[in-house]
Amino acid sequence: MSNMWTSGSNRRDFLKMTASASAVGTGLLSLPASAQAAPLNFYTWSAAVDTVKSHLSAFEAKTGIKVNYNNAPWAQYRDTMVTKFVGKAPLDVLWVSDSWLPEWAEAGWLAPVSNFPELMKYNAEADDFSTKSMQYKGKQYGLTYYTDYMAFFYDAEKLKKAGIKEPPSTWDELVQQSLKIKAAGIADYPMMLPMARESWLIEFLTAMVYSNGGGFTDASGAAIMSDPKKGALQALQWIVDAVNKYKIISPACVETGELNGLKSFSSGNHAFALLSRYRIRTLNDPKQSQIAGRVKQALMPAGAGGSHATVGWMRFHGMTAQAASDKTRAANAAKLIEWFGGKAEGKYRFQKMLFNDIGSGFAVKELFKDPEVQASYAKYSDMAMFEKQQQFARKKDVITRWFGEWDEINGSAWQSAVIGKISAAEALKKSAQAWNDLRKQA
Amino acid sequence: MSIRTSALRRFFGHPVSAYDQKSAMLFLAPMMVILTVVAVFPILYSFWISLFDLKLTRPHRVPFVWFDNYANIFQDSMFWDSVGRSTTFTLMSVSAIMFIAMLMALLLNEEFRGRRILSAILLIPWAIPYVANGLMWKWIYDSGYGALNGLLFQLGLIDKYIVMLGDVQKTMLLITNSFVWKEVPLATILLLVTLKSIRADLYSAAKVDGANVWQRFIHITLPALTPGFALVMIYETMMAIRHFDLFFILTEGGPADASHVLAWQVYVETFRKLAFGTGAALAYIMAIVTFTLAFFIIRSTSRKL
Amino acid sequence: MKIPHLGRRVLLFFASLLFAVYVLAPIGWLVSSSFQSEAEITSVPPHWIPHQPTIENFATIFTAKDKVVTYENRKEGDTATGGFIPSTAKNLLPSMWNSLVVALAVVILNLLVSVPAAYALAKIRFIGRDSSIYFMLTTRVIPDIALVVPFFLFVQQLGLLDSKLSLIITYLAITVPFSTFILTGYFESLPDDLDKAARVDGCSRFQTLTLVYLPLALPSLVAVVLFTFLTSWNEFLLALMFTQTLASQTMPIVVASFTSDFTISFSFINAAGVLAIVPPVVVAIMFERYIVSGLTAGAVKG
Repeated sequence: MSNMWTSGSNRRDFLKMTASASAVGTGLLSLPASAQAAPLNFYTWSAAVDTVKSHLSAFEAKTGIKVNYNNAPWAQYRDTMVTKFVGKAPLDVLWVSDSWLPEWAEAGWLAPVSNFPELMKYNAEADDFSTKSMQYKGKQYGLTYYTDYMAFFYDAEKLKKAGIKEPPSTWDELVQQSLKIKAAGIADYPMMLPMARESWLIEFLTAMVYSNGGGFTDASGAAIMSDPKKGALQALQWIVDAVNKYKIISPACVETGELNGLKSFSSGNHAFALLSRYRIRTLNDPKQSQIAGRVKQALMPAGAGGSHATVGWMRFHGMTAQAASDKTRAANAAKLIEWFGGKAEGKYRFQKMLFNDIGSGFAVKELFKDPEVQASYAKYSDMAMFEKQQQFARKKDVITRWFGEWDEINGSAWQSAVIGKISAAEALKKSAQAWNDLRKQA
Repeated sequence: MSIRTSALRRFFGHPVSAYDQKSAMLFLAPMMVILTVVAVFPILYSFWISLFDLKLTRPHRVPFVWFDNYANIFQDSMFWDSVGRSTTFTLMSVSAIMFIAMLMALLLNEEFRGRRILSAILLIPWAIPYVANGLMWKWIYDSGYGALNGLLFQLGLIDKYIVMLGDVQKTMLLITNSFVWKEVPLATILLLVTLKSIRADLYSAAKVDGANVWQRFIHITLPALTPGFALVMIYETMMAIRHFDLFFILTEGGPADASHVLAWQVYVETFRKLAFGTGAALAYIMAIVTFTLAFFIIRSTSRKL
Repeated sequence: MKIPHLGRRVLLFFASLLFAVYVLAPIGWLVSSSFQSEAEITSVPPHWIPHQPTIENFATIFTAKDKVVTYENRKEGDTATGGFIPSTAKNLLPSMWNSLVVALAVVILNLLVSVPAAYALAKIRFIGRDSSIYFMLTTRVIPDIALVVPFFLFVQQLGLLDSKLSLIITYLAITVPFSTFILTGYFESLPDDLDKAARVDGCSRFQTLTLVYLPLALPSLVAVVLFTFLTSWNEFLLALMFTQTLASQTMPIVVASFTSDFTISFSFINAAGVLAIVPPVVVAIMFERYIVSGLTAGAVKG
């Protein structure tokens, strides 16, 4: 089976087979032509497995297309898929993270879906930053699986205890409030900011940089991160000071990942946290969080000359080049992508279920107005804030073919600055240097 | 198969019989077949790849670059830093493993009640799957809730929870500890097996000659353990140099590259940067170093090999 | 080694205690935390003995059932129904069965392959002896990560993706070099006179091996069995790449799948870890008598 799709003659034979089968079908038995097609291979990471399975059962029932569904743990997902791609294992539809798009597109593993109008039409109803994140060199590569952004949370109770009326609206205010909270003995390290080396790190860093009014790169793609006026230095310096000077962030932040950070915040150790927005659901669930009911979302604090901007990321359903090379497979894959990323039987079913089951965000604008969605969210958070912050969300500005390599260097540099090994300026200089070198080589 | 005995006579200084040669070949055949068929292809393939500038994100241009990948690696300061870190890790772990395993093997060699239970317990660290092991240690070392912090705190050794894996001074020590803990059972078993093969009458004879415990240990036990030590050293060195799992689960090479060892670098090159050519070259350098080390250990500790 | 009686017992006692603590302390914590709820597990300082023990983690593993998942019966995430136990929990037991089958097959095949090879390397003088040993070593000096892709291609060419056979063959190739190494070392320590004596008695090489040396090599055979079993049992990277469905997925893969992106229940993972230890420990207990009590080389004494 593994070589079936790469051999041209086999492909032609197969197409002949399906063509004649469909002729027979429509002629005699009126079975849908796709019922004879080979099953689709659908790969995801292990999130919302039951939700996906339930939606797949409905898909199979409706279209008669069988789907082989497999998943791998998130931590190993990328490596598994890379191996499968290199080994040319059978794959049709899979989940892709926005960070990997340029790499995988350049490697020839993903196929654009720009020539599937039935998929492209959904863009009109989706948020811009999400759609843009799926585009590379003018082509779009799929439909959104979920999209979300980095949110700023605070524990209302702790603030009240310290006599603080409103959450901070700037990073400087946050320092003042944290010092107050620390002095009152309410929390040792009032601010929780994960800084561990993992795929989430870039999201945290970008949120900090954006809110400080800058970016990593400019519109032309050149590095501006080492420019003191362009926000990154301000952001990094703020973190360095928070850890070393004011001691409002724990020095253990370099080993704390997003998940551990979530656990730490939900155990009541901190007053403020930067976490993925969808975590609010867990944070306000009494079965999982010790501060349930007290967590609120506020707009991302702004840096001097900055704004309430934050970073938005997304994952999408992509089609493999393999699938695209065969008309039947491509058509079936498009159907599957539409079922999950677009509408299923006239409704945005999957997106709504996902939101309901695990609280992950969506790019579909109309869902914000959906009464069920609103009611469900109202149980643990503020819909208006959700929408408001999403308007300030921007996609990352470092997603290129060499992102993987640069991310390693950049992450390490920021960590070195935080632990005091090098200065913030040096760290960003190193980072910018690496970026420019990689860009030149491309 | 006919083998001229005159040629063989010169080889070993005494005749190698045709029968012997034939039997040996026969006995070795299954192993050779398996290894050649399964293991040789990947090794040759990796070497072949290392001669190309293969970047998956640039699939249309894959130039053949002879040994450029290797040259670039040697000029990269990150490589030399990683070599340093791998060396430290290997030295620390192998010495710790050999020392602890020797003590445990000596203990288990004695006859006393409860020995059976102890030897059963011994195998547990070995039996835990790597993922569960990594997560267990990550949890134990956690700076916020870890059991290690809790223990030190309750014993009064620290007055508040300290940073563990996030502290660059401690990172490698903690990872080494987890690695050693998991490898000690196998090393102990290997040393124990060697101990078992020491003839008891050697000890009795020595006692009759008036040797005390320490002298018996130095003159009988240690020399006889040498092949066991060699075995453990070779195996554990190989394992330590190539070890990847704990670095992946505990720190991902951080913080700030404190635990960025060679094995991690191979992973980064291959799967993060998708630079397969460089990754393969790096793996090959590691392979050569490992082989050389093993070669020297074998030569210096064995008469026959 | 005999030291004054009482001193010896005290020394042994303390040594055993130290030994047991070193080995069991982390395990003890593993077991304890597997009986705690997720909220309790994050207590500062930790509850060494659970204050509110729960068997929920284990219960889920044993009672999870397979069914067609529809909109109605899907497990609604982790918060609404109060359980953040991954839906792949039901895969743990079947995957342990896969692991067991693979490990046993590898052990048997390994013994069949490495015992004769080790005997030849240790006892027979022949051309190519040293090179064979170095060849064996060479197959194991490359780091596993570099081998993933070529192994994957190899297995795929054979059409063995997602089958236990692929794992068995690969693990065999991985474990044979070192098992042979262990056995060779042990065989070498057995006296050559036995060999000569058997040959004089008219035994062929094969009979010498099976009738004379094998019984004496029991401790090392057991070491090899344990080594091979545990290596196969724990192997993760290759199994991850070669397997796709539960038809061939082994236990480490399923345990890893519990650490999904969205939720993580440390107490549950620890429970899975506890269960995963049980079969190897059972195997170990069955065989340990052969290592510890062993057989001294009494055959030479007279």
